[in-house]
Amino acid sequence: MNEDPKLSQRYRELPREEPPRALDDAILAASRRAVQSRPAPLVAPSGRRRWYVPVAAAAVITLSIAVTLHVQHDRPSEEVDAVAPAMKVQETPAPKSAEPARAERRAPQPFAAAPSASAPAAAPAPSPAAEAEPRNDIGAASAGARVMRDERPRAQSQMARSSVEQNPEADLERIARLRAAGRHEEADKALAEFRKRYPDYRIAPAMLEKVEKK
Amino acid sequence: MLAYRDGDAGAFETLYARHRGALYRFVLRSLKDRSVAEELFQEAWIRVIEARGRYAPSAKFTTWLYTIAHNLLVDHWRRKGLVLVELNDEHASPDNPARQVEARETAARFLQVLEALPPAQREAFLLHEEGGLSVAEIAAATGTNEEAAKSRLRYATAKLKAAIDE
Repeated sequence: MNEDPKLSQRYRELPREEPPRALDDAILAASRRAVQSRPAPLVAPSGRRRWYVPVAAAAVITLSIAVTLHVQHDRPSEEVDAVAPAMKVQETPAPKSAEPARAERRAPQPFAAAPSASAPAAAPAPSPAAEAEPRNDIGAASAGARVMRDERPRAQSQMARSSVEQNPEADLERIARLRAAGRHEEADKALAEFRKRYPDYRIAPAMLEKVEKK
Repeated sequence: MLAYRDGDAGAFETLYARHRGALYRFVLRSLKDRSVAEELFQEAWIRVIEARGRYAPSAKFTTWLYTIAHNLLVDHWRRKGLVLVELNDEHASPDNPARQVEARETAARFLQVLEALPPAQREAFLLHEEGGLSVAEIAAATGTNEEAAKSRLRYATAKLKAAIDE
């Protein structure tokens, strides 16, 4: 151990060099910066951060409810799907000029290919299979994509109008089915519409029994 | 240091003012290159600043500070291809202080002798003189045992005394 005071004194007589001022300043500045930018504490966030999570959760829940309600509200009912195309004709206004083209893209082949409302009523009558297709198609459309729904009433309207104008027998068959199903009010309306459109058409007695109210 | 750890910037300034000169001279006299010494001095304080969050008062701050400086010196010597000297290699050293302490009894000569000491001995002496460290604290700061630290200090003291007594 250095216990010699002479040695210590001799050492103290050496130049007492000090660090340059610039070095002092740099080190002290670094120490102040470190204190100012100290790492975040490991405690619960305070202030503005405190309400981030609850607000975000509330927003997600609200959005979820809104979307669910919207989807439920827009879902097509089975009742709508079950309505015959002929009945939709009476409830829906006639398609406008651009609509037939849109309907053509989405409608099944027999009706999509059908001529416009100005076509003559003396067109050939469809086969029973062709007549049955509108229902199948509409049923499929109701089960299909939602975008189809917006176009469907117009397409149905056009298809039904075409079939009414061109196929009185088929219309009578539909009215007879409505009557048989006990939907007399709808059948009456359809029959009145039929007579308005075909004032000169003579309904066969057998068919008349089926379509008229007893 | 605890106050600085807790965010008191003024505490560091007090600490720095107390130790800056001694640490600077310790580093400067351990190395011959002033620019390297300044670089290591700054690096030692930067490490103190960065380690403030982990600081625990298990030892004297002075011991901790000189431990950091010692480690930086060791790293420096390793980069230079040097090793911290063993206890008994001073006789093999070309810079044998006994031979160099011949003509003058000036402060410059004392300094020359000091610089001629093997690094481990010089470091032990500087830690004692500049840092005020005891043998145990020198041992802790340099990562050695007390016996080795005591021997280094004794060798350094003997050579320096011989130089000034001539």
